[in-house]
Amino acid sequence: MKCGFCSFFCPVYQEEKEETAVARGKNYLTKLILKGEQEFTPEMGDIIGKCLLCKRCVAMCPSKTQIDRVVVGARAQMVKNKGLPFIKNFAFRKVMANRKAFGRYVKLASKFQWLMPKTEGKVRHLPDFLKGLGQGRNIPEVAKVFLRDMVKKVNKPQDGKEPKMKVGFFMGCATDFIYPELGLKMIDFLTKRGVEVIVPEEQNCCGAAIYFSGDFETGRMLAEQNIKAFEGLDYIVTTCGTCSSTLKDYQKYLPDNEDQQKRYEAFEKKIKDGTEFIIDVLKIPPDEFKLKKEFEGKTATWHDPCHLIRYQNIKDQPRAILKALKGLKYVEAPNADLCCGMGGSFSVYHYDITKKIADKKIDGIKATGADIVVTACPGCMINLIDNILRNKMPQKVYHLLELVE
Amino acid sequence: MIKESVIAELHKIVGKENVKTEKEMLKAYSYDGTSSWKHEPDVVVFPTSTKEISEIMKLANAEKVPVTPRGGGTNVSGGSIPIMGGIVLCTTKMNKILRVDKENLTATVEPGVVLQDLTMRLMKEGLFFPPDPQSFLGATLGGIIAENAGGPACVKYGVTKQYILGVEVVLPTGEIINLGGRTLKNVVGYDLLHIFISSEGTLGVVTKAELKLNPIPPAKKTIMAVYDDVAKAGENVFRVMENGVIPDKIELLDNWVINRIEEMMPMGLPKDADAVLLFEVDGIQEAVDKETEKIVEIAKKYGATDVRVAKDQAEADKYWMARKAGFAAVFGKAKTVFAEDVTVPRGQIPALINKCKELAKQHNVEIVVLGHAGDGNLHPAILTDIDNKEHYDRAVKAMDAIIESAVEFGGVLSGEHGIGLEKQKFLKRQLEPKVIEMMKNIKGLFDPNNIMNPGKIWE
Repeated sequence: MKCGFCSFFCPVYQEEKEETAVARGKNYLTKLILKGEQEFTPEMGDIIGKCLLCKRCVAMCPSKTQIDRVVVGARAQMVKNKGLPFIKNFAFRKVMANRKAFGRYVKLASKFQWLMPKTEGKVRHLPDFLKGLGQGRNIPEVAKVFLRDMVKKVNKPQDGKEPKMKVGFFMGCATDFIYPELGLKMIDFLTKRGVEVIVPEEQNCCGAAIYFSGDFETGRMLAEQNIKAFEGLDYIVTTCGTCSSTLKDYQKYLPDNEDQQKRYEAFEKKIKDGTEFIIDVLKIPPDEFKLKKEFEGKTATWHDPCHLIRYQNIKDQPRAILKALKGLKYVEAPNADLCCGMGGSFSVYHYDITKKIADKKIDGIKATGADIVVTACPGCMINLIDNILRNKMPQKVYHLLELVE
Repeated sequence: MIKESVIAELHKIVGKENVKTEKEMLKAYSYDGTSSWKHEPDVVVFPTSTKEISEIMKLANAEKVPVTPRGGGTNVSGGSIPIMGGIVLCTTKMNKILRVDKENLTATVEPGVVLQDLTMRLMKEGLFFPPDPQSFLGATLGGIIAENAGGPACVKYGVTKQYILGVEVVLPTGEIINLGGRTLKNVVGYDLLHIFISSEGTLGVVTKAELKLNPIPPAKKTIMAVYDDVAKAGENVFRVMENGVIPDKIELLDNWVINRIEEMMPMGLPKDADAVLLFEVDGIQEAVDKETEKIVEIAKKYGATDVRVAKDQAEADKYWMARKAGFAAVFGKAKTVFAEDVTVPRGQIPALINKCKELAKQHNVEIVVLGHAGDGNLHPAILTDIDNKEHYDRAVKAMDAIIESAVEFGGVLSGEHGIGLEKQKFLKRQLEPKVIEMMKNIKGLFDPNNIMNPGKIWE
């Protein structure tokens, strides 16, 4: 039985309307590869690449087929057979997997930011001559000082008492390089509530872009480094939905042997997304959340990052925080759980599709009449900002933590 | 193989980006909703207008290239498999809802509109299109019309053919014709409109359709009745209706399905029940309340061991979710599943169910029953494995016997799925030779070169 229900939920199929875009087509072709009836052709690479990994099809599949595993598995096999394309090889293995080098490259790139006209706030618009790379999109400004250069390794509870627990803070690339204030905010929020926060220097990139592209080898290397960096802590907390989900899912995608399976599973149990940690672990009661003054009287809507709602089943926690903030009006968007269209490197290769998907997201935001769009994944923030500006809309995009006193 | 010159012409007609010949693409259009059929086309074409479809058909007719029309590819008869190769004409990019006319309760749609998209659009106007094939998330209107699709709601509302007022069709020769119109009554000449509804894409391509709509009823209620004998449940279906209540849905789950659902998502269904019937009544509140009372009374009178009225929408949704999960439960439990589509007059439901039980024993296979009991369209499903030859052969025998008995009971071998490739071998058991000959003659009249979805319906 090939019911094809996935076609209704697949944001890419909804734009392309071609069978190779949807889970059913990808699944069928991957099966043919396994049977030896289909080669890893460049066309096959494009088909397998053209997936946001948003998991909407997985959530709705009557037979519970795990398409994300099919797609990621096919990508991994492809990397194994053919190696990575040059640009990914360079970016993943030489740059992203080496945290110091990654920092240097980002810093170097940021030196050329003045070349780009500034549009609004901290967003720079890529001018025409860079269109080949950025395709005219608005990309956020790289921070002047990275989080890694301003954060303390050990952050004791602010009341000077014995910490009720010790948690690690996993910063992730976007928080480190673009939104360092988010990291500081998280540490401040936690240390105010009796938690000691450790920020290990040895931590690395979570590996999302890397292992979701099929580079399991580099993915495992990052997994090992991160597991080692965070040894001996009660929990590991992030401000990025993609990072928390990626760290949790090492056990799902990467293990090559039983030992890895066990250790990655143990690691998973300690990972908490920030929103999840605040509601489920710290159990902060609603009346303890205070809205920052600047947001008083505003109307907010929430965007569910795929990596929170479908990868981690985190749906109620962020809403609980938003609804607890007195002075803020919360309006649920009709398509709150629709992927924003970013899909990591998907948007680099398929920016035209990203824009079409984002336009549907934007319609949902418009329908709420919200002044601000709130989410908890820097990846989504970057894409939402770009598309809101492109649609000449007034809404500002915030990370949930930014609203909280 | 298709000629290069034909591909070049197709490029001119629909633009290069809408003509696909990559082998991955051909493979992705080699299947439909079934698991048993596949055949690759030579090219997949995505037209965006009636004019383009007309030009494609003229070209194909001149070159004698087979054309298989296809929408969402969700059908379960093999009907959209390009079994002779050639062109797959895919309408998914013609997906505009052209008009919703509240005054006349009609909508005008292109063939690639997905049913659920239409339903969501109509909901905003307080309207609905009653035919509800369970492939609504992927099925397109073109296919729904070509297959004359039905679904649970047809107990009260009927099937697709009762909701199509008119169509624009491109004939296999490329001519564009209009059949029917925008009115409920229409007796101008032969009713050619209805030849296209259930033509399984063998007579032409529907390029536009005028649909009849209903206002959404303001109230509805769900009733679950439990039985210790599945045949009693079958009898209850017609008892309720002969006592004057026409529910909009009556669905049946047997013991096997109930237990699989409880394994997947425990929701308190009675695991020891031999069968459960789900009724839904809709209409104005007062009528719904009265009809609910009546169903409870009749169900109890005719042997239901327990009857529950859903106290709110959440409980009702739970029961209907179970019905939907039943489908996944069946297909998840065996490598190969024959999903039968036989339909009998309502009074024969108990007889058919008993026959299924008997055949299961006789051939030593698992036959489960879940389906639209309300209209006699049961879906007996046989669980087997195509790679286990001995078991598979027994399953085939059991399936043949089910179809045989459905016809004996005065029923039909397919209620809503169509013949396509899947049921060709049974056609002769249902239709007289003269009737098949007439159908073939009609086909020849519309499609002299036999290029339109060739190889379907009859062997």
